[in-house]
Amino acid sequence: MKFTVLYGTESGNSELIAEDLGAKLRETHDDVEVFDLQNFDPAELTPERFTIVVCSTHGEGDLPNTAIPFAEAFDAALPDLTGVRYAMFGLGDTFYEETYSQGSEHIDRRFAQQGAERVGDYGRHDASSWDMGSDVALEWLPGVLEAASATV
Amino acid sequence: MSSSTTPKIAVIGSGPAGCYLAQSLLRAVPGCELTIFDRLASPFGLVRYGVAADHQHTKAITRQFDRLFQHEAVRFAGGIEVGRDVSLAQLRELFDAVVIATGLTADRELGIPGAELPGVIGAGAITRTLNAHPDAAAPLPALGSDVVIIGGGNVALDVLRFLVKDRAAYEGSDVADEALDAYLAAPAERVTLVSRSAAPDSKGDPQMLKELAALPRAVYSSPDPIEAGNAGEALDRAAAGRVAAIRELIAADRPRSTGPEVTLRFGLTPLRVLGEHRVEGVEFAAGDEVIVVPASSVVTAIGFAAHPDHAFAALTAAGAETGRVEPGLYRTGWAKRGPRGAIPENRACAKAVSDEIVADLADGSLSASPSTLGFDGLAAEVRDRAIGYEQWLRLDEHERSLAASDRVRRKLPDHDRMIDIARGA
Repeated sequence: MKFTVLYGTESGNSELIAEDLGAKLRETHDDVEVFDLQNFDPAELTPERFTIVVCSTHGEGDLPNTAIPFAEAFDAALPDLTGVRYAMFGLGDTFYEETYSQGSEHIDRRFAQQGAERVGDYGRHDASSWDMGSDVALEWLPGVLEAASATV
Repeated sequence: MSSSTTPKIAVIGSGPAGCYLAQSLLRAVPGCELTIFDRLASPFGLVRYGVAADHQHTKAITRQFDRLFQHEAVRFAGGIEVGRDVSLAQLRELFDAVVIATGLTADRELGIPGAELPGVIGAGAITRTLNAHPDAAAPLPALGSDVVIIGGGNVALDVLRFLVKDRAAYEGSDVADEALDAYLAAPAERVTLVSRSAAPDSKGDPQMLKELAALPRAVYSSPDPIEAGNAGEALDRAAAGRVAAIRELIAADRPRSTGPEVTLRFGLTPLRVLGEHRVEGVEFAAGDEVIVVPASSVVTAIGFAAHPDHAFAALTAAGAETGRVEPGLYRTGWAKRGPRGAIPENRACAKAVSDEIVADLADGSLSASPSTLGFDGLAAEVRDRAIGYEQWLRLDEHERSLAASDRVRRKLPDHDRMIDIARGA
């Protein structure tokens, strides 16, 4: 499989997690790309590459800074995501219960509406826990890969 | 290994602004060598000493910066004060580029008559004391029964939260217990928080207000209209969230609980601090009216400024559009844009300043000189004294091991002692 890991971040934590996921994937796969969402064109989403999105939450459950240009580009030219499979890892803080991890869901909704299929569990990291975000994401990854292979 | 074409860059300040800048440079300038100076023995600046002790989830950002300091191209040089141990001019000779990321640490002054009276205290000073900052006044100044907080932003809300919380609410924090004990021995009975802005336009994040509402502490009221704002304009999401959170705080059906009586005031302008020998009250303009709020102490939370005696205050005192002072000298974070924005905003700022450095390298106005020695060129005495990252880790471990069972760490408030522990003395 070929992978594209995308991250949307405000404080850099999603980037770190995305980089760690990318490094882990490179141990077993040759073609792994990691991009900041703000540097990624939604038209580049393709069924040939499995997409992993790592995205935090900002303000009142909003998208983080670097995901906003992506969402705007997405809405301006809705891509056909039929056949695109992806996994979602959201960051948030259960301290803010109403808006916990809502940032990533803005991306998830867009992907689903355009026909993409989410694979595996919806990963989440809670900043109020004492877990390291990368640890949680790396534990989550094998389940996603298994589900991804099973549905090929 | 360094080569003659490797840019050597000094970053002054290891708070979020300096750390984000270093992260950006590592990516944007492959092969660069970074030395991050801090006058304190510990890294992380405002994250360690400016974020409220009970907001440990915000302090978790240091895990990201830990990884930065573990990078082979990055050196932490703690306990070295630029302007005292080494001059800015010397650094500019030794490094190809110098970036000022010192933040703004002085509490902005109120600038009204009576503001110099004993009992007028800056919020930053209180936060530093609660965080056991080595420069902070200890013990915590006595605040008395009637505290007036001037300001409605997040720092003001941090102070308010401290005033209403009890001991149990600090579980899992790194609060300086001596300071907490001093306050809880005689906690405030009445707190008045005064914002110049109308409620919807006040500066505090809705989440910070919701946090107060969710605390089973204090009783809130407000005599001011909560909905009034910029007339005619639709409330944006933050303003709507703020109004909802304030409503929740002052709702008649919010369970009554122990803690101070808190009055929230909006749209009031401070005129003067009253008192003969110390604070007795504050006079405010409320429209055409003048009102007096009695006060045993006044906490100002109206922003931050450059320390007037700071070695390069002139370079950081006024906010600037650009991080470039001139090719080879830059500033980032609050030192660049002024005291606005929370920790994450420094990331985007760092990226922009890093882009300016890359542009200067690209057009040749800045180049890596074979003669710059970087950290190795510093006087042996300074190099020996600099606290490296491994030494900080020893101090970090020491602080964690000293923590009581319901604290995550116990910070040492004494600079020299910190240095000794870091050195393994």
